[in-house]
Amino acid sequence: MIVFKTYLKVLNKCKMPIILYTVILIFFAVFNMQTEDNQISFEQEKPDVLIINKDEEVGVTKNLMDYIKNNSNLIHIKETKDNINDALFYRDVNYIIYIPENYREDFLNKKNPIIEIKSTKDYQASLAEMMLDRYLKTANIYNQTSMSEEELIKSINNTLEKEVEIELTSKIDTENLENASFYFNFMNYCILAGTIYVICLVLSSFKSEMVNKRTIVSSMNYKKYNRYLLLSNGLFAFFAWLFYIAISFVLVGDIMFTSHGMIYILNSFIFNFCALTLAFLIGNILTNKDAMNGIINVIALGSSFLCGAFVPMEFLPKQVLNIAHILPSYWYIKTNELLKNIEVCNFENIKPLLLNMGVILCFSLIFIIITNIISNRKRKLG
Amino acid sequence: MKNSIEIKNLTKEYKELKAVDNLSLEVHEGEILGLLGPNGSGKSTTINCILSLLNFTKGSIKILNKEMNPNAYDIKKEIGVVFQEVAVFEELNVYDNIDYFCGLYIKNKKTRKQYIEDALSLVGLENYKKFYPKQLSGGLLRRLNIACGVAHKPKIIFLDEPTVAVDPQSRNNILDGIEKLRENGATIIYTTHYMEEVEIICDRVIILDKGKIIASGTTDELKLLAEIEEKVTVEVIDLGEKYIEEIKQMKHVDQVTYHNNNLLITYKKGKNNLLTLMDYLKLKKIKYNKIYSERPTLNDVFLYLTGKELRD
Repeated sequence: MIVFKTYLKVLNKCKMPIILYTVILIFFAVFNMQTEDNQISFEQEKPDVLIINKDEEVGVTKNLMDYIKNNSNLIHIKETKDNINDALFYRDVNYIIYIPENYREDFLNKKNPIIEIKSTKDYQASLAEMMLDRYLKTANIYNQTSMSEEELIKSINNTLEKEVEIELTSKIDTENLENASFYFNFMNYCILAGTIYVICLVLSSFKSEMVNKRTIVSSMNYKKYNRYLLLSNGLFAFFAWLFYIAISFVLVGDIMFTSHGMIYILNSFIFNFCALTLAFLIGNILTNKDAMNGIINVIALGSSFLCGAFVPMEFLPKQVLNIAHILPSYWYIKTNELLKNIEVCNFENIKPLLLNMGVILCFSLIFIIITNIISNRKRKLG
Repeated sequence: MKNSIEIKNLTKEYKELKAVDNLSLEVHEGEILGLLGPNGSGKSTTINCILSLLNFTKGSIKILNKEMNPNAYDIKKEIGVVFQEVAVFEELNVYDNIDYFCGLYIKNKKTRKQYIEDALSLVGLENYKKFYPKQLSGGLLRRLNIACGVAHKPKIIFLDEPTVAVDPQSRNNILDGIEKLRENGATIIYTTHYMEEVEIICDRVIILDKGKIIASGTTDELKLLAEIEEKVTVEVIDLGEKYIEEIKQMKHVDQVTYHNNNLLITYKKGKNNLLTLMDYLKLKKIKYNKIYSERPTLNDVFLYLTGKELRD
């Protein structure tokens, strides 16, 4: 009991880091949710197009112009060379279509008249190009048959007016899952930097050479003493984790009550346990508090950057992710990332997630074994 | 006389170095045993072996008639250790520090509370209960270190240089505290560099060198080993070689050295050596600044036995 009581007293002196990292977590989570693109409907965007028509505005030429008018913002400027270049340069126009003289006649006579274009080569220009391409391809197909011009125009328009209806059958709450993933990925940093740092700080006091020596010569069973310390650390890590989970319920909301939420919680619990064993290992190796601060920052920031806690995994180079495999954070974040794309949480679907959690537990086991070896060696001076 | 500690043929080897060489000793119940020796003489290694902090190569260690080993928690319960380096929590105040270390031995809260008060009183830290180690001076910190080591009222106490770098007031306080511990029946093993402390508080002294006991006994018994009765020091400027030779020929004189205007004369025995010397100086009209006589110290014993100073 005296070990636990003293642990709490020492912990009380080290509370600042945990408060600091909690504030950081909440700040970034809230900030992320505020800036999240909450768009759930799509609206077709219209590029700014200028048509320079040298042909007569009748028949297929008129039809082409009408189609472009309907699907873009038609821009009117004085058609001088300077004006046109300025409009492109200042992005007043994204796409300029030059309809040549006798276009209609040449088209109907299957002479493949060339329509010249100028573009800003941005995504709006691409949209305009796709639109023009769609029209011309459709028109060319119908022009292969021997239709009258009127029938040709009718067929082209019928085809172009056809729309495909898309129904989203997925019931995944993408927005909330994204938020949950962000929150739990970021929690990786808070657990590593906050929880491990605090545990190591407290352990550095208990395991400082002289205090440890005095404890060894005392009548307290050393194994029992280590168990008390582990238990105290475990309780601290558990309550710190519980606190983070409580915040997740507030910030992420309903998703935490679903099976997805439960898996996020399970995954973070296992990772938290792994962090605890890692903290115990570091705390047994390091006793210098200054060095500890640096090393834990390297571990926390390094793991978080390499494994995608800050930058999403899909943006990280393959080589970086290959290296990240040796870190528990990788498996933790990978599970979060996989989870947000799973629609139904049945055993078959969550099997890869469970395997990842198993890998994290293996890391924990390795840390425990190394800590035991070091601790036993430290008990004897020589 | 009952023995609190019995060590037989203790040897600790580090590859080719024998840190402790076939050492046997007994510590009697209720005595203060001084363990003297220069750095590397094997004092700390011996204590670490006794406390099972170190494995030893051969020999046996019995404490309170029981074989000592790392898991002998019933024996450890009766042992208090005050290491040379301060072993306290920076994050805990004086009271909580003593509470923790006492709590490693005493589970009962009420008993512990009383023991903590006793320990505070023993080292004179009653007014510093709420102070944190960083707020204490070096001397007060050492007192806290002692309180943490003895608060559980052990039967055997190891004190490893507890007065190093301590102000005179704290030093006196610590020595008084050790006396009180002895009065309460504790057996104390005291290692130090300060021979005057040993002479004041130790009942028996063991001098170690190169892992071996080179002498043991009471301070008076040890001083006899040096075969010196008296030392006289005279501060005199530019004393000629002729006079030094004449002094060497004086009665009972053992050795004469003259260094940095200090004339040191050791006498094997005799009375009135100081007066005889003063008469000689007067006769030869040799002017001196000061002159004093002293009894041989344990350092002289060590010097005599090993040819080197204790603090070398």
